[in-house]
Amino acid sequence: MTAFLIRRLLFAIVLVVFAASAALLLTRLAPGDVTSQLGPGATRAEIAATRARFALDRGLVAQWTEWAGRAVRFDLGESFLYNRPVAPLVRAAAVNTAALAVVALVTATLLGLALGVVTGSRHDAVAAIVRVLSLVSISIPPLLASLLLAFIAARTGWLPVGGMSSVNASDMSWPAWLSDLAWHLPLPVLALALPLAATFERLQSQSLAEALHQPFVRAALARGVAPSGLILRHAWRVSLRAICGVYGVAIGALLSGSFVVEYVTAWPGLGRLMYEALRARDIYLVAGCAAMGSFFLAIGTLAGDLLLAAADPRVREAEPA
Amino acid sequence: MTVTRSRYLGVLVTAALLVAGFLWWRAATPENGLRSRAGTVPRRGGQLVASLRTDPRSFNRYVARDFTTEALTTLTHDRLVRINRATFALEPRLAERWESSEDGRTHTVHLRHGLSWSDGTPFTSADVVFSFEAVFDRRTESLLASSLIVAAQPMRATAPDADTVVISFAGPSGPGVRLLDNLPILPRHKLQAALAGGTFAEAWDTRTPPGDLAGMGPFVLREYQPGQRLVLDRNPHYWRHAEDGTALPYLDRVVLEIVPDQNAELLRLQARAIDTTQDALRPEDFVTARRSEQQGVLKMVELGVALDADAFWFCLKPEAKKKDPRFAFVQKPQFRQAISHAVDREEFAQTVYLSEAVPVWGPITSGNRQWFDPNVPRYPPDLDKARALLKGLGLEDRDGNGVVEDAAGTEARFAVITQRGVTSYERGTTVLRDRAAKIGIALDIVPLEFGAMIQKMLASDYDAIYMKPIMTDLDPAASMDLWLSSGSGHFWNLEQTTPATEWEKRIDTLMLEQAAATDDRRRHELFNDVQRVLAENLPVLYFAAPRMYAAHSTRVINVMPSVLRPPILWNADLLAVNGPGADSSSASAEATADAPSSH
Repeated sequence: MTAFLIRRLLFAIVLVVFAASAALLLTRLAPGDVTSQLGPGATRAEIAATRARFALDRGLVAQWTEWAGRAVRFDLGESFLYNRPVAPLVRAAAVNTAALAVVALVTATLLGLALGVVTGSRHDAVAAIVRVLSLVSISIPPLLASLLLAFIAARTGWLPVGGMSSVNASDMSWPAWLSDLAWHLPLPVLALALPLAATFERLQSQSLAEALHQPFVRAALARGVAPSGLILRHAWRVSLRAICGVYGVAIGALLSGSFVVEYVTAWPGLGRLMYEALRARDIYLVAGCAAMGSFFLAIGTLAGDLLLAAADPRVREAEPA
Repeated sequence: MTVTRSRYLGVLVTAALLVAGFLWWRAATPENGLRSRAGTVPRRGGQLVASLRTDPRSFNRYVARDFTTEALTTLTHDRLVRINRATFALEPRLAERWESSEDGRTHTVHLRHGLSWSDGTPFTSADVVFSFEAVFDRRTESLLASSLIVAAQPMRATAPDADTVVISFAGPSGPGVRLLDNLPILPRHKLQAALAGGTFAEAWDTRTPPGDLAGMGPFVLREYQPGQRLVLDRNPHYWRHAEDGTALPYLDRVVLEIVPDQNAELLRLQARAIDTTQDALRPEDFVTARRSEQQGVLKMVELGVALDADAFWFCLKPEAKKKDPRFAFVQKPQFRQAISHAVDREEFAQTVYLSEAVPVWGPITSGNRQWFDPNVPRYPPDLDKARALLKGLGLEDRDGNGVVEDAAGTEARFAVITQRGVTSYERGTTVLRDRAAKIGIALDIVPLEFGAMIQKMLASDYDAIYMKPIMTDLDPAASMDLWLSSGSGHFWNLEQTTPATEWEKRIDTLMLEQAAATDDRRRHELFNDVQRVLAENLPVLYFAAPRMYAAHSTRVINVMPSVLRPPILWNADLLAVNGPGADSSSASAEATADAPSSH
């Protein structure tokens, strides 16, 4: 297990370095650069100074080498948009995204698995309705989902239309602040979690239906095990393998979906930060966000693998110590 | 099985009840104080929530040109004089009065006596002199410096006593004291060390604790939560009072919520989560906003005709286009006049701006009441005349493919770059392409990201561009970078060493004279000439300027809308709200908004 963890850690480091470097190089190669943010009225001297500040006047390799040299000391450079170092910006945004992603993942998992068990073990009207709702949820892109939810929130007043806290949050006590945060979570969480929950529901439903036809389940049924026990104690655990296999990918999907959801719902997270950085060609901020995003992806993949190992003894046994 | 299912059902129902209970409790809790209460008399108290699209780049306006920093500066700092954004009239601010010498070069400014910075430190002429030193310091590389240059020399400020500043210009200036509207005054006691140490450009970045800032504006920054909001409290030392003696600002607090998406911004306004938006509404939002207005949720206010119009121009830089055979006809004014005749501006306004626009024939729209000239040459829609003009240049459809070409077979086909994602640009280029096709000019529309488009523009690496250049000031003399052939904003042929054409040379001469003239009537005559020369030669084609609307919640009163940004927050010290926090005991106060006096 230790060797496995070390391997995954090395993979995470390679992934982070590769993603951040690719983001930096691609941003550099894309048409336009950060000086366009100065606007059409910028003087040539101002443009030259900005290009020099972000090493855009140097060659691609020289810029990357300089950036990588600083990055190993956790100095990710300066952001043009925010006019401050990238590292603390990315750290703060990552915490917000992590909070959102964890709640969305838990919500999607609980909702998806529970509904998957229902649709995988029943063939009635309820299961049919859930299946239709799942297909609809999978089909709606995150942009539309977040705008739709924001529209509903605006019309009904049940939830805040966006943001992470109320305008008076700084005057609140800790319990009130936490309650306020919880009040702002449902909208972005639902926008992120619904398509994921639908995916989990579909996977869980199919794998449970398959598991229910396995010989060991039939044997248990023959032994007189109650149907609920049969599903929950025997078939469900085996059927989890399919979910665990895509968990890492699901976390990646959460991050990519969070770009637009965070932007529309004004959630100050990594997705929104990266989106703004990309639009402005804020090169070091893009690279910093990519590094943190890939780190999340690596953690997600690791979590998925560990869950898979926990759910399926065959995976545990196949893994050398 | 039955027992288990009942247990699950019970858990689910309990969870649902808990969630519903939480939502009900939250919905019942007064949150932002945004619920409306009747009344139109401004009272002290309450908070206003406005939106901004991005975070500020700095708290130091001298080194940051982004709109958020500018808006924040409007709220936290003041100037010697101000151009009223609603009336365009010059108003005294920190300067109580001033006298100008006959030659217009020396202005003696008398400061209001006994004013204090937001931290209680006395405000003196030393602060004004310091601000001039800071803005012109080479190490600062201030973006504001160019707007304070007269006759190619920086203004000079001296302080004969604590309440007087003498500002000297190197030559006469048409705008004169109006130029001082560009300079927010900064506190010497807070920033002198940074200036002396050469670190002024880095001073007051967004990591600066709000307690280290000080200003003369109506509000002080209390808190900045990156990516979320800026919270500003009333400046307890603000100098201005309403006519009835009420100390301004009326509001206790202004919260600037950062909402990057404009769709979400409108939804928040409709949900009463914000009181006003940072910018004017988009034409496509008018219907939704009007519906909300009818429901009593918000109020729409007309700002007037926009100061800037959509523009279309060809790259006219000879150095960049000398090998391009199309340049032979593109550089002829008749070619551009033909396109102008091909476009029906009334139809353009209806299609592109859904009828909420007016036709325009030059860069100065009727929104700029002081400088608009209704008599500039116009090009009525006339396809026959357009075709005749092209024929006069030797451009005819010789091969019958619908596109005109010259005798050498060079087709009049151009790639038009525009900014991706701007709906009015998308509609505008579509109309333009269709109208140009009617006279045999093929325009291929290429939407690009803003950055890529600007890069191509600065490198003169394009055929044609469709976008909306922004005027930096109402007074043409403050936008010399646009008018002068050597200017960095002379976008069809940037930064010429010598004027490329006779008419550009003529405009240079007229504008230099106009900028130096102190007689207002003469200035207008000269600038009307400039507009006429430009309209005759059409380096840029203008089609329509939108009518602008802003929206605010119904509880906001004392709104004086402006076509300039920010349309509502520019007079934040006079804005008031009817809602929690407003002091009912002052209900009898007869404070009026538009005629405050100073104490």
